[in-house]
Amino acid sequence: MNEMTPTKSERAAALKGLGTSRKRVEDSRFTQGKGNYIDDIKMPGMVFGDFVRSPYAHARVKSINAEKALELPGVIAVLTAADLEPLSLHWMPTLAGDKQMVLADGKVLFQGQEVAFVVAEDRYIAADAIDLVEVDYEELPVLVDPMKAELDDAPILREDIADQKAGAHGARRHPNHIFTWEQGEKEATEAVLSGADVVAEETVYYHRTHPCPLETCGCVASMDKVNGKLTLYGTFQAPHVVRTVASLLSGIAEHNIRVVSPDIGGGFGNKVGVYPGYVCSIVASIVTGVPVKWVEDRMDNLMATAFARDYWMTGKIAATKEGKITGLWCHTVADHGAFDACADPTKFPAGFMNICTGSYDIPTAYLAVDGIYTNKAPGGVAYRCSFRVTEAAYFIERMIEVLAIKLDMDAGELRKINFIKKDQFPYNSALGWEFDSGDYHTAWDKAMKAVDYDGLRKEQAERVQAFKNGETRKMMGIGLCHFTEIVGAGPMKNCDILGMGMFDSCEIRIHPTGSAIARLGTISQGQGHATTFAQILASEIGISADDITIEEGDTDTAPYGLGTYGSRSTPVAGAATAMAGRKIRAKAQMIAAYLLEVHDNDIEWDVDRFVVKGAEERFKTMKEVAYASYNQEIPGVEPGLEAVSYYDPPNMTYPFGAYVCVMDIDIDTGEHEIRKFYALDDCGTRINPMIIEGQVHGGLTEALAIAMGQEIAYDEMGTHKTATLMDFFIPTAWETPHYETDFTETPSPHHPIGAKGVGESPNVGGVPAFSNAVNDAFRAFGVNHTHTDMPHDHWRIWKTARDLGMHD
Amino acid sequence: MELKDEIRIAAPRDQVYAALNDPEILQKCIPGCEELIKHSDTELEAKVTLKIGPVKARFSGNVVLDPTQAPDSFSLQGEGNGGVAGFAKGGADVELAEDGDETVLTYQAKAAIGGKLAQLGSRLVTGTSKKLAAKFFASFAKELSAEHVV
Repeated sequence: MNEMTPTKSERAAALKGLGTSRKRVEDSRFTQGKGNYIDDIKMPGMVFGDFVRSPYAHARVKSINAEKALELPGVIAVLTAADLEPLSLHWMPTLAGDKQMVLADGKVLFQGQEVAFVVAEDRYIAADAIDLVEVDYEELPVLVDPMKAELDDAPILREDIADQKAGAHGARRHPNHIFTWEQGEKEATEAVLSGADVVAEETVYYHRTHPCPLETCGCVASMDKVNGKLTLYGTFQAPHVVRTVASLLSGIAEHNIRVVSPDIGGGFGNKVGVYPGYVCSIVASIVTGVPVKWVEDRMDNLMATAFARDYWMTGKIAATKEGKITGLWCHTVADHGAFDACADPTKFPAGFMNICTGSYDIPTAYLAVDGIYTNKAPGGVAYRCSFRVTEAAYFIERMIEVLAIKLDMDAGELRKINFIKKDQFPYNSALGWEFDSGDYHTAWDKAMKAVDYDGLRKEQAERVQAFKNGETRKMMGIGLCHFTEIVGAGPMKNCDILGMGMFDSCEIRIHPTGSAIARLGTISQGQGHATTFAQILASEIGISADDITIEEGDTDTAPYGLGTYGSRSTPVAGAATAMAGRKIRAKAQMIAAYLLEVHDNDIEWDVDRFVVKGAEERFKTMKEVAYASYNQEIPGVEPGLEAVSYYDPPNMTYPFGAYVCVMDIDIDTGEHEIRKFYALDDCGTRINPMIIEGQVHGGLTEALAIAMGQEIAYDEMGTHKTATLMDFFIPTAWETPHYETDFTETPSPHHPIGAKGVGESPNVGGVPAFSNAVNDAFRAFGVNHTHTDMPHDHWRIWKTARDLGMHD
Repeated sequence: MELKDEIRIAAPRDQVYAALNDPEILQKCIPGCEELIKHSDTELEAKVTLKIGPVKARFSGNVVLDPTQAPDSFSLQGEGNGGVAGFAKGGADVELAEDGDETVLTYQAKAAIGGKLAQLGSRLVTGTSKKLAAKFFASFAKELSAEHVV
């Protein structure tokens, strides 16, 4: 072999496959302003839609008069529920088995609800015309507090289903009650609680917030009446689901609908659902015969498209006096707003909230979730998390802290003695999940060592003393978190949305010269799929990632898949990609064996080629095989080199992590400063460490936002108080601290490449870490002080200090 | 939102009370008032254009007076609708005390606003309301003083 022949490791490096911090291929266009987002799409003759929205949270709509709006030059049409009713499109099904008004049908149920859709020649005329639509409302009593939903004097919100005793998820006990979902063993858990050495109780509110992607939701609908085809461009995290739903709703055959998700400027769950804007744009395009564009402004987005969280979680956690947890009880009141439009798998109306036993070996547990209607916007989506996993992780990680206070124990030590042990995996949790793999003790010990945990606690004790001596006004909080996620929905045996199985797919075509295109059923919203999926494939088929195009988002070309949310792309579509790659390799092996004139079994795979066993100088590269597959007659083998895989995962994946936040709090101003944030993630096999780090930074920053200030707040009249970025907190570089990232690597045993998904872990683990730091800072200052609710903005932190007498 | 203030008006109490019931004077003094119709001794209808922060809206509203304690005091309740801009409702208690030839008017008002007006203008609502109230009473006092002199 001469010196110029690349070594095996050089050949592997050239592939830029698994484990390579390959630069993101998407970024050359994003950083040059060459992305193609929904608002960049312009079609000939395109007109614009905008909504008349309700100023009232609850009111009867007595009349709508569009005469003056229609007189405004440039206004083409004003659609109301009366116009949609003949098409049966004035209501639409939600992903949660409920139905939702497309346009106000007799009443409005939340402020900002869509009342009429104005179509005009330009966006500004549409906005002007909205002011001219006269709507006569009769105000009704408003229900804002979900705890008051079932009181005698509570107004009935959903008159359309007031008499229905059964909903999509079982019995309903009140017109404002949606479902009760129970998991685990109620009586056994109550028995454990009543006989326990110690029981800690707390009500933990995970406030309502919003994914608030930089790009708001929008679409361009174009009905071509000549060929009967509907093209729908939109900000869709699940384009195939949108096409199927659009076909079922409209009656247009599925092959006559093309749904395209162009570049998407962040989704975070906000772009999973189907919104009135999409339906109205389609109808308006059918009515006018020209393309119709609808794009939300920021207020529209924050007021009307899907919110997240809003879980009131009451917990009881039982333990021995040594700190071994014996039982967990949780009752949650879930405020779903006016329509149940959560985007959860159908059998899980509270998502995977039953992952709330966390990283701990808890033998007995019970969970009940009550879904409630209120006069607020619908939603309840998974904002940078798998379905309700952030709520679950926040709940258990707060309960652990509360229990530590009750036991007068170190919260880190309490976690450690309760972790599920490495040899217990696969572990069956008390609330019904089979955790595939984990090594929590190794991760935890690494984290504690990295931050010098004992040193931090010593410093904190000194600080408390200094405060008592009057030497400082700044307290120190140490926020711990060990989270376990459940992502990659999911196995078709228990995961579907509206009956659509949650598999995903990949279709690969190798070109004759040895480059390739792979199409997937998912859609990137910034995650870097074009980079990472090419890396998975590069390692599987021995073609450089640079020679592989990844394409997603066009239902005319991409294979069917359920889209991107809940960290499912890598666990599901990533698995499909690897499996399709293996099919390519299997066929390639037959061709290579023929070319090398040996038996299939006499050759083996070596990075980017097949070599004859024991004679590695005799080989055929994948490139050579590709060319031969198209251009040479291979007996018994079809020409071409293509494969497709539809992957139904056997289980979810369970990424985990250990986070530590060290925060200084000024008790006189309520300001905080994050001195250290250490994030150790275990997402199984690491495909692209640079992208993982970027995902962790982004997720932590969203966690910072949620924990420290971001909220969707309503006043007592149901007015949405945080509908602009003046009131809705989005961190900038100024507020964002430095993050230290770290990892352990525990591959998933059932995933083809062992990957688990990572995009959402930092949000799931970050929120409890920030919140625990705030609460921990006050631990030494109140016997009964165990918990304060998020968001921990300056005012709330200041108020906690005041309530604890620290200003005296 | 709550507002309260005390205003001294250089006119006798009966005259002040009469003026407060005079739609012509009220229309002149209410900032942005385009139309004021008196349907009865206790019912008024008004059209007012208001600008609070970035929201400009034309409100149409109804006001109901309770004059049972007049002229010592009276109260009023009202509500206005500004279309997509939002809505407002509220009430006020007004006391009129004689002080020689002059009258001391004190009022306590409570108002709630909803819709876009509350969302975008919330920081400005109280300040703007105070400014509008001050403007009303300044005009009102001026109007009355002029009348009194004449």
